[in-house]
Amino acid sequence: MSNYTLGIKELDNLIGGIKKGSNLMLIGPPMSGKELILYNIMYHGASKNENAVILVNNREPAKYVLEWFEENKLELPLSRIGIVDCVTRTHNGGQVESETIKIASGPIDLSCIGVKISQFFDNFFMKKNIREIQLHINSLSTMLMYSNIQTVFRFTHVFAGRIKAAGALGIYMVESGMTDEQTIAAFKQLFNGMIEIKSENDKNFIRVVVEFQSKPTPWFEYEIEKGSVRIVG
Amino acid sequence: MIETGIPKLDEFLEGGIPRGNNLLYYIQPGVDGEVFGMQTIYAALKNGETGVVIASSSSPNNIRDQFQQFGWNIRLFKDKLIFVDAYNSLIGAPSSEKYVVSDPASISDLDKTIIDAMKELPPSTIVFVSLSTIMDLCGEKETIEAITRWNRYACQYNHVSVFNFTAWPYSQDTLDSLKKDLFNAVISIGGIADRVIFGQYFWVLKSDWIKETRRFMLKSDWAKEIKRSMLFKVLRPGGVRLFVPKILVTGPSQAGKSTLVRALSAQAVAVDWLGTTVALDHGHVDYKGFNAEVFGTPDQERFDHIIKLLSSEAMGVFLVVDSTNPRDFARANQMLDITKSYGLPYIVIANKQDLDGALSPEEIRKMFNLPKDIPVIPSVAKDKSGVFEAFEVLIDKITGGL
Repeated sequence: MSNYTLGIKELDNLIGGIKKGSNLMLIGPPMSGKELILYNIMYHGASKNENAVILVNNREPAKYVLEWFEENKLELPLSRIGIVDCVTRTHNGGQVESETIKIASGPIDLSCIGVKISQFFDNFFMKKNIREIQLHINSLSTMLMYSNIQTVFRFTHVFAGRIKAAGALGIYMVESGMTDEQTIAAFKQLFNGMIEIKSENDKNFIRVVVEFQSKPTPWFEYEIEKGSVRIVG
Repeated sequence: MIETGIPKLDEFLEGGIPRGNNLLYYIQPGVDGEVFGMQTIYAALKNGETGVVIASSSSPNNIRDQFQQFGWNIRLFKDKLIFVDAYNSLIGAPSSEKYVVSDPASISDLDKTIIDAMKELPPSTIVFVSLSTIMDLCGEKETIEAITRWNRYACQYNHVSVFNFTAWPYSQDTLDSLKKDLFNAVISIGGIADRVIFGQYFWVLKSDWIKETRRFMLKSDWAKEIKRSMLFKVLRPGGVRLFVPKILVTGPSQAGKSTLVRALSAQAVAVDWLGTTVALDHGHVDYKGFNAEVFGTPDQERFDHIIKLLSSEAMGVFLVVDSTNPRDFARANQMLDITKSYGLPYIVIANKQDLDGALSPEEIRKMFNLPKDIPVIPSVAKDKSGVFEAFEVLIDKITGGL
């Protein structure tokens, strides 16, 4: 099995791991817990697979992300974690940069966000000699609130290419209610797989489709319990 | 002349930027290049000039903080540093700057505010912190038309204008006109990348005011082009600092690594015992204006951890092989594998080509099963034959083919 897995064994067993250089869209409606799924994939990647994980967060400050892991007793190996915080500086927050957290000047400054991502890649790949790196973008939909589609597309195009070249894994979160179908279709061409989430009758379901598999996995019902994803049906 | 404040760049530009001229910092995405514009404005302030910052990607206060992070005390130049705030209105925040763009997504609003500032202010150094953000908000065609106007007014009012531009994949026409047509000088700021970006360089792509004869000479002489490029690091505090790359020389015992280090270096130090290196060869290369530190690795497997240590710091690798001794190629491959795992650019030097039975570079390529883009350079290191050619080829690979 590849060094990139989701940490949800029912899905990992079916897809047999995710090949290096893959870019996946994680898409679902609001309130379906997809952000927690992203955090679970992050935790699993860093703690179990010993990968490095870079999280670009334009939804909440980095310290809240780290607090969420602490509150749920999911101990992140911080030497393998890099968070690009795109929110704090706009809110005039007092957060200072550290080995784990880099502060971008704001959510529209994609050049600055790109530099911070590259610095983490350099640090993990060249200095710490970690070969498996995950880049999680939370979220493309929020980026699209601040910048137009062409701008975000160009940014994603560049970094999807870098993921491929580095043999890394990219996961890009998209809010299905917030982003129109045409935009989603345009972005799909940059990705080679999707983690899809849907909500029906107060229940949440997840499935995965990757380009090297002929069809998607079945839908699995899941719950989030103490911060962890559990398949229930 | 207005100095850019970037070490070595002012020398390349023969003193800096003449008044009334403009310069583009053309930055590869992911490379820490926006500091160039900031360093230029700080240099102008220190020289008593007025500096104008066009803030389009983050707020003026954020940019003030960034100056402080670089250790540049702009409070000393409070009256000489003026901001055109093309950001706060975007996020609905109030602004206390003298010049405020009411709708930064409207090129006409932006245009009017910038031209007003150009007309009202004394000859200044005007830095657009992020031209790409303006292009993202206002459109490629509209921005290019506006640049032409801004450059005309800047020339008329004797300003120097400097633009930071992140070269996202815009249309080829846009990128070409930025690189070739719109500016007096273009400085390319790129990343040295294999699997990830692990080093950064700048390079003078174009400069109108460098004398014709010199420009002709530069174009016709690739080595001179190298001379106009430098590797750099960005320090906080400190800003842009030049960087001397480390190049690793590896290969099996008696392949000629120490000889190569000595052949390349003005000064070299070797530590050896009974003719074999047990510690590091080290030399400093200064060839056609390009500097590098060269390190030879020890042969013995017990020192392989040193190769790993050096690889994590190096920017390129020479693999030296004795062309007459294919029995050692397995060990050569093993040593190469260690460095390859760091994703470093490398070339193979087929040494001892003067001896009977030497395999040709093509035969060696086949035996190593090397991809076509990996050069195999024939050499006789003891006579310095092929060694500088190999150095130029490796530098070319490191800098992505300048």
